[in-house]
Amino acid sequence: MAESTHDWGKHKKSYLIVFGALCFCTCLTLALGIFAPFDLGPPGPTPADFVIGLAVACFKASLVGLIFMHLNHERGLIYKLLVFTFLFSLGLMALTLFAGADPILEQYDTLESTKGKLMEKL
Amino acid sequence: MSAATAETHDQAQEEHHHVEPFWKKYIFSTDHKTIGIQYGFTSLVFLAFGFFLMMVMRWSIAYPDRAVPLLADWPWFQAWLDDSGKVTGDLYNMFGAMHGTIMVFLGIVPLAFGAFGNYVTPLQIGAPDMAFPRLNMASYWLYLLGGVLMFVSFFLPSGAAKAGWTNYSPLATTTDIHYGDLFWTGQTQWLVAMALLITSSLLGAVNFICTIINLRCRGMSWMRLPFFVWAMLVTGFLLLLAFPPLEVAAIMQLMDRMAGTSFFVPTGLNVSGMSFDAAGGGSPLLYQHLFWFLAHPEVYVLILPALAIVAEIIPCNTRKPLWGYKTMVYAVMVLGFLAFIVWAHHMYITGMGPAISTFFQTTTVLISVPSVILITSLLISMWGGSIRFNVPMLFATAFIPMFGIGGLTGLPLAFSLPDLHLHDTYYVIAHFHYVVAPGTIFGLFAGIYHWYPKLTGRMMSTRLGHLHFWPSLLFMNGIFAPMFIQGMAGFHRRAFDGGKAYEQISTQIFAEPNTFLANIAEILNVIEPDAALRMIDLNIVTSGSAWLLAVFQVPFIINLFISKFVGKKVSSDNPWDATTLEWATPTPPPHGNFLSEPVAYRGPYEYSVPGEASDFCPQFEDDPSKIPAKSEAGKEGDKPAV
Amino acid sequence: MEIPHEVTPRRDTGLYNAKLGVWLFLASEVMLFGGLFSAYIFLRVGIQDGVDNPWPWGLNVHKDFVWLGFINTLVLIASSVGVVFAWVALKERNWKLYQVYMYAVIGCAVIFMCLKGIEYNSKLNHHFGIKLKDNSVMEGELVNKTDRIRFEGATASVSLQGAVPVFIKSIPKGEFPIFKVTEGPGSEEGVEIHSDSELKAWFHKERRAISAKLTEERKRYRAELASGVANPTPVSVSSSAKLTSSEPFVLNANPRKVVLHSDSVVNFKDGSKVEGKLISDDVEFIVHEVDLQLVLPQKQRESIVWDVINDEGAKQQFFEQQDAEYRHLREYYEPRGEVIPEKMLRGHILNLHDVHLGGHHGDDHGDDHHDAVHKSEPKPSAEGAHEEAAHEHEDDHSISVPRDQIKFMGNHGPRYGNYYAIYFTMTALHGLHVIGGALVLLFFTVFGKKLYLKNPEHLANRIEVGGLFWHFVDLIWIFLFPLMYLL
Ligand code: HEM
Ligand SMILES: [Cu+2]
Repeated sequence: MAESTHDWGKHKKSYLIVFGALCFCTCLTLALGIFAPFDLGPPGPTPADFVIGLAVACFKASLVGLIFMHLNHERGLIYKLLVFTFLFSLGLMALTLFAGADPILEQYDTLESTKGKLMEKL
Repeated sequence: MSAATAETHDQAQEEHHHVEPFWKKYIFSTDHKTIGIQYGFTSLVFLAFGFFLMMVMRWSIAYPDRAVPLLADWPWFQAWLDDSGKVTGDLYNMFGAMHGTIMVFLGIVPLAFGAFGNYVTPLQIGAPDMAFPRLNMASYWLYLLGGVLMFVSFFLPSGAAKAGWTNYSPLATTTDIHYGDLFWTGQTQWLVAMALLITSSLLGAVNFICTIINLRCRGMSWMRLPFFVWAMLVTGFLLLLAFPPLEVAAIMQLMDRMAGTSFFVPTGLNVSGMSFDAAGGGSPLLYQHLFWFLAHPEVYVLILPALAIVAEIIPCNTRKPLWGYKTMVYAVMVLGFLAFIVWAHHMYITGMGPAISTFFQTTTVLISVPSVILITSLLISMWGGSIRFNVPMLFATAFIPMFGIGGLTGLPLAFSLPDLHLHDTYYVIAHFHYVVAPGTIFGLFAGIYHWYPKLTGRMMSTRLGHLHFWPSLLFMNGIFAPMFIQGMAGFHRRAFDGGKAYEQISTQIFAEPNTFLANIAEILNVIEPDAALRMIDLNIVTSGSAWLLAVFQVPFIINLFISKFVGKKVSSDNPWDATTLEWATPTPPPHGNFLSEPVAYRGPYEYSVPGEASDFCPQFEDDPSKIPAKSEAGKEGDKPAV
Repeated sequence: MEIPHEVTPRRDTGLYNAKLGVWLFLASEVMLFGGLFSAYIFLRVGIQDGVDNPWPWGLNVHKDFVWLGFINTLVLIASSVGVVFAWVALKERNWKLYQVYMYAVIGCAVIFMCLKGIEYNSKLNHHFGIKLKDNSVMEGELVNKTDRIRFEGATASVSLQGAVPVFIKSIPKGEFPIFKVTEGPGSEEGVEIHSDSELKAWFHKERRAISAKLTEERKRYRAELASGVANPTPVSVSSSAKLTSSEPFVLNANPRKVVLHSDSVVNFKDGSKVEGKLISDDVEFIVHEVDLQLVLPQKQRESIVWDVINDEGAKQQFFEQQDAEYRHLREYYEPRGEVIPEKMLRGHILNLHDVHLGGHHGDDHGDDHHDAVHKSEPKPSAEGAHEEAAHEHEDDHSISVPRDQIKFMGNHGPRYGNYYAIYFTMTALHGLHVIGGALVLLFFTVFGKKLYLKNPEHLANRIEVGGLFWHFVDLIWIFLFPLMYLL
C-alpha cells in the first residue's frame, strides 16, 4: 500500500457511516426488546423476536467484520479459513441439537409391538 | 561450561550475537530446533511415566490377589494400597485416568506435533525458523507447566484425577467433592492443567499453520511440499478448530466444580444417597459432545504425524517416489474435514435416535476411505522397490500392518449395532491401542532413528536398533491381540480386579442360547475347549508382554544417549541420500538453518528418476548431475539388514 | 537471522505473518465462543418443562441493568471505531492523533469493565432466591447478606487423614477458642491449640505420625501374611481426634460446606464434625417476588410458599396480578382463534409476580407474626453493621424461612441456574478478552514510540492486528447483548 498517495479520507468516512449504522441497530435491538409497540406477538420472547434480534445482530456483526476488520478487501485465504470455521461451529451447534432432539423415545418392549407398529405404517 | 560462556560473553556482545549464554541457548531458546528437542525429551519422560502407571495397573489386573512387588513400601504409594499391599480401586482409577491423559496429551501429541513438527517442518520448507519464535517458546513452557501440574496432582491429599481420561460428568463433577479445598484436588487440577495444555496447543497450531503458509522458501509451491508438511498443516487445523470446544468443556466443568454451576449436572442428581446441592437442569450429554468434538479429531492428531513420518522414510529407503502423492494430499485434507463430523460415534449408547446415529454411522464409514487411501499408498510405495531395511525402515514397515489392524478393527465400532456389544470392552482398548501404540509409537521411533543423524551428526547403533525393534514388535502384539479376544467375549474394561465379576457370570452368559456371546464361545471352543471360560488367563499374557516390552525399551534408551558420543559419524549432510530440504542444512543445523537461501527446484520425492545418473534428485539441487552417486551411509544401507 | 514477512506481506498469500496468525487465532476463538453458544442453545432448548428451572427472560433478570448492557454495547462499538481511526492515524504518520485515539479506546474498555462490575455486584450481593420443597421460588434479599448456620460449638471431631478439616474456616476471625486435644490417636493428648495456624501445624504433624504408623502396621501385616500366619491381626490405626474447647465458641458455618446438621451437631462435608448447640439455622429473608412456574396451577394456592410468607395480602396481590395477566393473554389469543399455549400458561408471565409484605389488610396480623419472630432472634452481637442494614429494610418486612423447607438457594451468581451460569461464564470470559486486549493496546500506546520511529509500518501492522482482535471482542458482545439481556 502506498501510504502517502492513499486517500484515507474515504476510509474515515465509511468508518463513521458504519459507526452510525451500528448505533442505530443497537437502538433497534433494544427497542424490540423493551418497548411494547415494537414487540411482536404476546409478551416475552417469541420465535419472531429471536429471528429479528439475531438477524440484526448478524447484520451488525457483518458490518464489523467487513468494514472494520477489512474483510471486504481481504484475500481468499482468510475467507477459506473462516468458511470452514463457521461450518464446523455450525456443525457443532446443529448436530448436538439434533442429537438432543432425536432420543430413542419409545421403548420397543416386545418384538410383537414393533411388528405391529411397522404394519400400521405400511 | 558456564564459566566458558561467561568469558566469551562480552566479546560476543561486541562482535556477533552468535554465542549466547547457556540458558538462552538451551533453556529459554527461541530456536525451533532447540524447542523441538525440549519437546522431545519432555514428552519421552512423560511417555515413560505413563508406561509406568500402566505397568502397575497391569499387575492389578493379572494378579489381583497379590501385593504389588517392589513399590509397596514406598510411603506415598503405600497410602493408596490396601493393607495387604494390593492395588485399590481408587488407585487403579487414578492411574488409569492419568495413563490415558498423560499418554495422549503429554506424550504422543507433544512428541509427534511438538518435537517432530518443530524440528522438521521449518527445515523441510526452507524457513529460517518458525513464524513466531517467541510464541513457540511460550507454547513449550505452557506445555511443561501443564505437565508439571498434572504430575504434582498425584501428591495432593486427594490424589490425581480419577474419572477416566474422558472425564465424563457428572462423575468428574462430583469426584472428591467432599474435600474442603476443592481447588487443590486432582480432579480440579486436571482441568486447570488441561486448560494450559490446550492453550499451548492452540498457540502451537497457529504458529505451525502460519509458518507453513507464509514461510515456504522460493520454489516451494504447494504441491512440492513434503507429505510430512501437509500432515502438519492438517494436524494444525485439527488442533486449532477442535481444541476450543474442549476448552469450553473444561471451563464449564471447572465452573461446575468451583462455582457450583450445573452445566453438566442434571436435575435431581443424587450422590452417595444425598441429593446433590446444585440448581440442576444441566446436561451430561453436552459434556460428551464437547469432549468428543475434540477427541475424535485428536486421534488424527495422534496418527497423522506418525503416518507422515513413515511417508518420508518409505520413499527414501525404497528409492522410489511416494506412490500417489497428490491423492494422499487430497485424502489427508478430506480426512481433516470429515474428522469434525464423526464425533458422536463414541456416543451410540447414550440413547441417540436412529436418524442422528445413521448420520454419524455414515460419516464414520466415509472417513475410513481416506484413511485406507493413505495406508494403501504407503503399501504400494514399497512395491517393487529395492528396499534398504535399516532400522527406521523396519519400524516404518511394521507401522503399516499394525496401523492396518487398528484401523480395520475400528470398522465394527462404526456401526451402532456391534458397538452396542463392544463399547467399553477390551476390544475398544485393543483397537485404539493398535493405532496409537504399535502404530503411532512405531512411526515416532522410526522418525527418531531417521533424523537422529541430522540432530547429532552420528548414526544410532543398528545392532541396538534391532534389539529394540524385534522384541517390541512381538510384545506389542502380545499385549493387544489377546484384548481383542477378551473384548469380543464381553470382557469389560476398567476392571481393577482383573474381571472377577466377569468370571462369576461368564458361565451363565455363555450358556444362554442364541446370544452373541454364545456364538463367540462356540467359535472359541473349536480352538480350545472351555476357552471362553478362561478369558481371565489372557490377562497374564497381556501383562507379561507389557513388562517385557518395558525391558526392551532399555536398548533404545541406551542407544539414544550413547550414540551421541560413540555413534558412527556421518560422512555427509545427507546420509540417507534423501531428497527433502532438511538434508541440505549443515549437520547439526545452525541457528537460522540454511547457509544460503534455499530454493526448491522440484517435487519432494524424485527418486530413481528415469534418465538421471543418480538414483535421487534432491529438491534443493539445481543440477542433478552434481550429486555424488552414492554416499557412505547409503552404501551401508544397501547391505543385508542384520 | 530474520524471519521473512514480518512486516511486508508475502506476495502469493497477500498477508504478513502476524495478520495470518491473528486470523487463525480468531478462527479458534470462533470455535471457543461457538462452543459456548452451542452450550447456550443446548441448555436452553433442552429444558424439560416443569422439571428443570425455567429459563428466565433476560429483560426480567436485568430490569434496570438493561440500560447498562445497552450503554456497554455503544461503548464497545465506539472503541472499535477508535481503533480503526488510530490505525488510520498511524498510516497518515500522525503520532499525536494515534495516541489520542488509543487512550480513548482504553478509556472505553475501562468504562465497559466498570459497568460490568456494577452489574455483577448487584447480582451477587443484592439478589437472592430461595426454592422451597415444592419448587415454589421466592426472590429477594438476604438480611445478613451471607447465609450462615449459626452454631455454638463445644467439641470438634476431625480425621487426621486427607486435607485440613474445613470447620476451622467457619470460626470467625479473632474468635478462635482454646482447644484441648481430649481424644487422639495416642501420643498428643492434652496439647493446647490457640489459633488456626497452630491447628494446621498440629494436624500436619499428626498426619505424618499416623501415616508412619500405618506404614509400620502394614509392613507387619504383610510380613505375617507372607509367612503364612493363620489369622494375622488386621491393621488398625485410629486416625480420629477430638478437640474440646474451654468455653463455647462461635461457628458460622457455610451451608454449602455442611452435609447435615441438627440441634446438637454440624457435620461438614469432609467428615469433620462439631458438637454443641444450634443457635439458629433459619434464613432471614426479604421477599420481593414469588415465582410459581414450577408449581402446577391447581396447586398454586396451597403452595408452601404462602405458609412461609404468611401474609394474606401478599398472596391476594399475587393472584390478582395473575388474573390480570391472564385476561391480557386471552385478549391476545382469543381474537386470533387460538388457545393460550401450554408454554404460556406455565411461563413467567402468569406465574412470576411482585409481592409486598404487610401491604393490604392482613397487615396487623402479618406484622405481629414477624415482630414475634424478630424478637425471638438473638442477633449476633458483633455485627452492628448488619443491625443497621436491618433497620434500613425495616418496612421491607423480613421473614425467616425454616431451613428444612428449603430445597435450594443462592444469590444470583453462576450457581443459581443455567441462565446465570452461562451468563456469568460468557460475560466473564468476554471480560477477560476485553482486559487482555486493552492491556495489549495499552502496551502499543505507551511503548510504541521506539518502533514508530524505527518502522512506522510495523507499528501500524501491530495496531491492525490488535484491532482485529478488538473488533472480534466487540463482535461477540453484539451477540451477547440480545441473547443475555433481551430475549
Ligand atoms: C504400549 C503400551 C501401552 C499399554 C500396555 C497400555 C495399556 C493400557 C491399559 C491396560 C489401559 C486401561 C484399560 C482399562 O482398564 O480401561 C489403557 C487405557 C488407555 N490408554 Fe493405554 N497403554 C499403552 C500405551 C498407550 C498409548 C501410547 C496411548 C496414547 C494414546 C494410550 C492411551 C490410553 C488411553 C486414552 C486409555 C483410556 C484411559 C481411560 O480409561 O480413561 N495408551 N492402556
Ligand atoms: Cu472417533
